[in-house]
Amino acid sequence: MRTIGSRVVAMFRRRALDGETEEELRAHLDMAAEEHRRRGMSGDEATQKALRDFGGVTQVRERVREREGVLWVESLRRDVLYALRQMGRSPGFAAVVVLTLALGIGATTAIFTLVYSTLMRALPFPEANRIVAIHDVRTTGQSTGGLMSMARFWDVKARNRSFESMAFFYFDEGTVIAGTKAPVSLHKARTNAGFWDVMGVRPLLGRTYDARDDRPHMPETVVLSYAAWQKLFGGDPGVINQQISLDQNAVIVVGVMPQGFEVPSGVELWHCGEFEANPSEDRGEGSRFINVFARLKPGVTLGMAQADLDRIGEQLGQEHPDSDGMWRFRSQTLRENRYGSMRPALLVLTIASGLLLLIACINVANLSLSRATARRREVALRRALGASAGRMTMQFLTESLVLGSIGGGVGVAAAWALVRGVATKLPGRLGVPGTVAMRWPVAGVAALMAVGTGIAFGIAPALEARRIQLNTALKRGEARLGGGGHRLRGALVAVQAGLSLVLLVGATLMAESLWHLVKNPLGFEPEHLLTFSIKLPWGTKGAEVRNFFADVQGRLESLPGVTAVGQTDAPPATDYHLRSNFDADWLPRIASKPAINAEDRNIGGNFLAAMGTPLLAGRALSDEDSQLKNYPVLVNEELVREYLPGGNPLGRHLLVDGTPHEIVGVIANLRGTGGAIASAAGPEVYWPADGDGGVTQRFFVVRSQVPPETLIRSAEEQVRGLDAEKAIANVGTMDELLDKAVAQPRLNMAVVAGFAGIALVLACVGIYSVAAFFVAQRTQEIGVRMALGARREGIAVLFVKKAVLPAAAGAAAGTCVALGLAQLLKSQLYGVKANDPLVYVLSIGALMVPVVMATLRPAWTAASVNPVEALRGE
Amino acid sequence: MGEDKPDVLRPTADAAGTPMLQGTLDLMVLKTLESMGPQHGYGIARRIEQISEQALRLNQGTIYPALLRLRQRGWIRAEWGTSENGRKARYYSLTKTGKVQIEKETESWERVAATMARFLLVQGTGNRG
Repeated sequence: MRTIGSRVVAMFRRRALDGETEEELRAHLDMAAEEHRRRGMSGDEATQKALRDFGGVTQVRERVREREGVLWVESLRRDVLYALRQMGRSPGFAAVVVLTLALGIGATTAIFTLVYSTLMRALPFPEANRIVAIHDVRTTGQSTGGLMSMARFWDVKARNRSFESMAFFYFDEGTVIAGTKAPVSLHKARTNAGFWDVMGVRPLLGRTYDARDDRPHMPETVVLSYAAWQKLFGGDPGVINQQISLDQNAVIVVGVMPQGFEVPSGVELWHCGEFEANPSEDRGEGSRFINVFARLKPGVTLGMAQADLDRIGEQLGQEHPDSDGMWRFRSQTLRENRYGSMRPALLVLTIASGLLLLIACINVANLSLSRATARRREVALRRALGASAGRMTMQFLTESLVLGSIGGGVGVAAAWALVRGVATKLPGRLGVPGTVAMRWPVAGVAALMAVGTGIAFGIAPALEARRIQLNTALKRGEARLGGGGHRLRGALVAVQAGLSLVLLVGATLMAESLWHLVKNPLGFEPEHLLTFSIKLPWGTKGAEVRNFFADVQGRLESLPGVTAVGQTDAPPATDYHLRSNFDADWLPRIASKPAINAEDRNIGGNFLAAMGTPLLAGRALSDEDSQLKNYPVLVNEELVREYLPGGNPLGRHLLVDGTPHEIVGVIANLRGTGGAIASAAGPEVYWPADGDGGVTQRFFVVRSQVPPETLIRSAEEQVRGLDAEKAIANVGTMDELLDKAVAQPRLNMAVVAGFAGIALVLACVGIYSVAAFFVAQRTQEIGVRMALGARREGIAVLFVKKAVLPAAAGAAAGTCVALGLAQLLKSQLYGVKANDPLVYVLSIGALMVPVVMATLRPAWTAASVNPVEALRGE
Repeated sequence: MGEDKPDVLRPTADAAGTPMLQGTLDLMVLKTLESMGPQHGYGIARRIEQISEQALRLNQGTIYPALLRLRQRGWIRAEWGTSENGRKARYYSLTKTGKVQIEKETESWERVAATMARFLLVQGTGNRG
């Protein structure tokens, strides 16, 4: 502060002294000298006497100049120094205030960092606001996660008037062999060349593949992510134009992308699609597998693009009523696509952190009020000695601002360290490096918050200081607050209790929701379950596929500790969608309107035993079943409930293109088939994975008596032993998969619960200090009451009541606010209602019990007052 | 800016060595202007010296920061004029708020003085007993 102050002073010094003052001082000296001369002094003597009487001319000049130029800077500097001295005099008070504000501002800053990083900051693509995601959505019933079919992609590409370029990609596993190294499985995205035009990000090295590469029968090209380049080639720039083996095909590495470019998230390698529009392309239900993005032409808005897509959707619906009639296109911004799903959670966290900040402010205001009361005499004295009310207000505000700035500084530093430490460990997209970081705008807002809170909690004591009347304060000889002060404190306690209750209700709701999410029956046993995937090259012959997976199955089953091995194309809690339409022999058949729409899974081995999924009726699938042309299927409970309520599905048939498939068993609903374990299970059909051509990419689920992690090595060896060019991918345990699936709700719950806990502590501190203050202020009154026969219990109850009543009133108001705000939480709750009365009762209990406890000590102090001493004190 | 310094007592330059109470000079200046009407800085300084009968010897220069301070508070105003000897000088006069302020300051000053007097009296009795 001193350096800034002196710099400003120096700036003013360069300006010549106000000419008028200079002239005035000269006039003064002349007049004085003249008078001395008139009294008979010589010229020199007179001048010297005049100068002597005047005192230091330079000093006076200096002081006048300072007053003129830097009045505010200087008084600010003095106020700040004074504030720091005050802090030194009561370090306990200062520490509590700084800590409380640091908590409030730190929490708010950390949450705002998340909000800014996802919902406000420009996305790291050139003109990112022109990038849109296009989803294919069923007009009724469940869609396939927005995925589109190739046929519809080509149609949109050919007919649209809105897009400069269009991109598609789909996820795939790729087994890469670079030189003589061991095969590595990479997360691969197969894309068209337009993908690079839409994203618009330049490669770090080499080039991206273009329209010339993206044609059938051209040499296959790939682009590496920065991470894959480091992992496979140790960052060797000579990798460009090198040939590597990808799924046993020779491909050329044409480029490396810069660090942080991770679209879609988790991708390690982009593989040129080489797809070509084909009029006879499959448009059926099972054909949707690509994600589609597009770049708007300059000047085209999202609304115009949506209208364009609606038009194309209508056209296609009319041209292909059977396959396209029920489907329409939905566009959304890239930001919405990437972070839209987090918006409700972020909103909740923002509100929670705001409430915490408010509670912190109120607490500090309360503390400052008590302190201001203790300083009434100081204020009164300074007023008596000429300090104006305005100066005193400024002084108190400066003290608050200094405390606010220190608290804010500590809070922002803590938030910065926290964000740095955990940013890449955040769940899902938030954890992508370079996504979440504290940037200058966030720090700026945090600084504003610190100043704002300084003013917010400083305003009450500052106004108090203004009101202090010299005579009363000095006459009474003691600091005492009138009824107004009591009412203000009561109101602050009430607001604090109410806000804390809102946070407690939120935390309780989220905790109960998380409990249900984790503890409700999943339809499988996640413990001791290892999962990994193996992929055979596209187009491998059916018999070869069957034999390979049967061999792996056999080898895994023979591993020690393994109790059951199953296969599926995607285990629960993975983002995988495959849906079909078919008819059923018990439902009326209407041409082009299939009766059933269900999610499909292909299973093999001993799937049910490995997953621990209960078989509710009938039997499981056997290896022989898949050999039949009309292979039988399993359905889940939900399919029966929806399409054959109360009936027995066993022996009935699903019809696919007229081919009947007998339902031989009914299994429990598996939660998380579509990826989200929080969404209700829909109808599902389980087909034998070895039916028809056989599924080429499969997950193995291995149940064991030993910890599943210990099996990874031997499983890998078994697969490698079977085929030296195969790698296992997506290795993990079912527990880990579930953990990832609940990571976001768990984080939200933990944050809100943390805030609620802090709020509760702050509320208790606030109520304790207010109760203690009441007691201290009224010691003499207590003495009088006791002298007049009041009982000690009566006194104690009086003071408990005095502090608890406002808190109770606040809790009542808080309940109403919480009921309103809980509606915002609705979309994120699982298995618990937002207005569950039990949650509210528990929260009120969690608030009021500690609050009452906090008042006990002051009340006890009141009850132990010695009436004789108290009265003598008067 | 001395008066903004929150310390209660601030020794002001005065040859007699008596520490001067904060706010005293302000009131003296205001009172001088009240009784004499518009006056220049030198005149005010001389008048204060005369009234205090040299008991309080000011460095005359200290009057100027005080004048500026009072002007910034809006209690006095300044105008250029010509002195009795035909010299150009800056004349100060009371404003309306300044007149009100004199009453306030006087009242508070008398209260402090009376309190102090009582206080000293009580102390004195105690000593004798």
